[in-house]
Amino acid sequence: MPLKKVIETKKISRVFKNGDIEVHALTDIDLVIEEGEFVAIMGASGSGKSTFLNILGCLDQPTSGDYYLDAVHVNKLSKNQLADIRNQKIGFIFQSYNLLSRTTALENVELPLVYDRTGRFSNSKELAIKALGEVGLEDRIYHKTNELSGGQQQRVAIARALVNEPALILSDEATGNLDSKTSIEVADLFVRLNNEGKTILMITHEPEIAQFAKRMIYMRDGRILTDEIIKDRSTKESALKDLELTAEAIE
Amino acid sequence: MKQTLKILKVAFQAINKNRTRSILTMLGIIIGVAAVIMTISAGEGATMQVQNQISGLGTNLLMIQTKSEHKAGINVRMGKPIYKKDFEILQKNAIYMPNLSPLLAIGAQAIGPDGYKSTMVYGVSYDYFYITSREIQFGSFFSDEDVKTAKKFCVIGQTIRKELFPGQDPIGKQIRIDKVPFTVVGLLKEEGSGGMGQDMDDIVLAPYTTIQNRIFGNRKRGYNMILASALSEDHIVDAKIEATELLRESHKIKANDEDDFEIMTQIELQEITSNITGILTLLLGAVASISLIVGGIGIMNIMLVSVTERTREIGTRLAIGARESDILTQFLIEAVVLSLAGGVLGVVLGVIGNQIIYKATNFYIPTAAYSILIGFGFATLIGIVFGYFPARKAAKLNPIDALRYE
Ligand SMILES: Nc1ncnc2c1ncn2[C@@H]1O[C@H](COP(=O)(O)OP(=O)(O)O)[C@@H](O)[C@H]1O
Ligand SMILES: [Mg+2]
Repeated sequence: MPLKKVIETKKISRVFKNGDIEVHALTDIDLVIEEGEFVAIMGASGSGKSTFLNILGCLDQPTSGDYYLDAVHVNKLSKNQLADIRNQKIGFIFQSYNLLSRTTALENVELPLVYDRTGRFSNSKELAIKALGEVGLEDRIYHKTNELSGGQQQRVAIARALVNEPALILSDEATGNLDSKTSIEVADLFVRLNNEGKTILMITHEPEIAQFAKRMIYMRDGRILTDEIIKDRSTKESALKDLELTAEAIE
Repeated sequence: MKQTLKILKVAFQAINKNRTRSILTMLGIIIGVAAVIMTISAGEGATMQVQNQISGLGTNLLMIQTKSEHKAGINVRMGKPIYKKDFEILQKNAIYMPNLSPLLAIGAQAIGPDGYKSTMVYGVSYDYFYITSREIQFGSFFSDEDVKTAKKFCVIGQTIRKELFPGQDPIGKQIRIDKVPFTVVGLLKEEGSGGMGQDMDDIVLAPYTTIQNRIFGNRKRGYNMILASALSEDHIVDAKIEATELLRESHKIKANDEDDFEIMTQIELQEITSNITGILTLLLGAVASISLIVGGIGIMNIMLVSVTERTREIGTRLAIGARESDILTQFLIEAVVLSLAGGVLGVVLGVIGNQIIYKATNFYIPTAAYSILIGFGFATLIGIVFGYFPARKAAKLNPIDALRYE
């Protein structure tokens, strides 16, 4: 039985117009991502990674081309339908966490459920606590976000992305603000979530983080340059060991 | 519905998170609502006092006086004065007016053994006390007989007693008005100040015959007015018609000519004054409402700042699936809750303010229930009107730009 296609794009392009200047941020991107994949997107700054992720996350619309998310043709949806799709099918993780400050971890994680209109979740508090447990923050539930470390804040953000049981988790440089060790822990968390069946797409510019994924896409000038399976995937242990070795080498 | 409840909770969390700012935002509304309540209530209080004072004159009262016209703000008498003859015709023929009294008013100096005071002296008949239902504290009224025989008796108010007889019993003592000595036979009960601020106890009443003979002497002078009371409240109109007919006859007015006198009933007087005080209240309320609008602009201002400050938060909410309407509702609710809370505190402040004014000045201000409604309704309206623009601005943000906002 063929696996379900979570993402399918057909010749997606995105052109930004700024007065007379046209920026071709994305050009004719064809991509299929199946259920259970763990994909890393790499590429130089300005290569179009974020633009692509925003389109995949239904925050932005392609200028041309078709996009199917979980078999839904996204192109022709209304604003409200796009909002509902984001709510039901996608979990976003940002580089700068984007948590509500002076608000508890629990309330932050509950937030997507506030906007749920399907009524499929009966007890949002229970679900939020469960999601916080999955990211290892069961003892930080009632902490305000500004009382947490960067790594903990990003875990809260990940729990928030998980709580609505999305078909797809999208991460734009989630480890960009974290130190190497914490980054490895977050990457390891992605691996664990992926092992539990979550489909994950993460942008990163750190090769050692990308190495945790199963598949790597390299972008340049709005196009996919390479797309290959990662053979020797990192694990938390191997990555930490490499980290130690580099540290020793510097000394 | 469930969605609205959830958004309501979100709005409350946001308000609670920015407590200091929320309170500052409310301040304009608090002061505005309190101002509206206090001014309207003060207007109502004044109206009530005037009305009480008028109904204190007796609900069946009629005032008959020479027609006058306002010219450049001055009362100019137009018709024939009302004389003794007119009074006697009324007294003899009236069926619907059992009590009638002339009123001769004169501003004069009242001089006692230990003080003096310039005051209003009214020449009236014994019926005056029935008509106005003023009561005596000590002594008695002068009698019908005293009026007939033009006795030099008088009844004084509490203010006169204080000035002329400090710490003494005035009954039986003498005062002089325009060099004429009067014996004080009665002391009126305290009435307090009238709605226009005049002192109802700064008064001397004497038989009109005495005033006519002793003070005006030979000068032929009309009465200031004739006071009458109708048989009952149901007969006020009959009494007015009757008085009109009798006076037209007495003044020999031809069938098609206009009256040269005016008859005002107590109800008409009440209507006129309530019109005047109503306009006053409206004006005061309108001025106070301006402060509410200023408060509303304050809300809009702070909400706009708040939207800008929370651009990233809005972007995040949009990214995790908030609809535009959710964001709009959230910010609108924030604005409305702030102005409603401001409204509640404003009501409290207004009521307390009324009490303080009452304690300080003795001017009783009943907090008008409708002023609370107006203040409250206005506050909600302002929250919606001035909250809408910032809320719309928030809802229309592009999620990507909002997420990138530094
Ligand atoms: N809103 C926008 N308006 C104009 N140009 C944009 C906009 N967003 C992105 N771009 C341009 O599109 C290109 C790709 O940007 P981006 O997707 O952010 O790259 P990356 O995330 O790989 O660094 C860049 O040249 C950038 O300047
Ligand atoms: Mg980027």
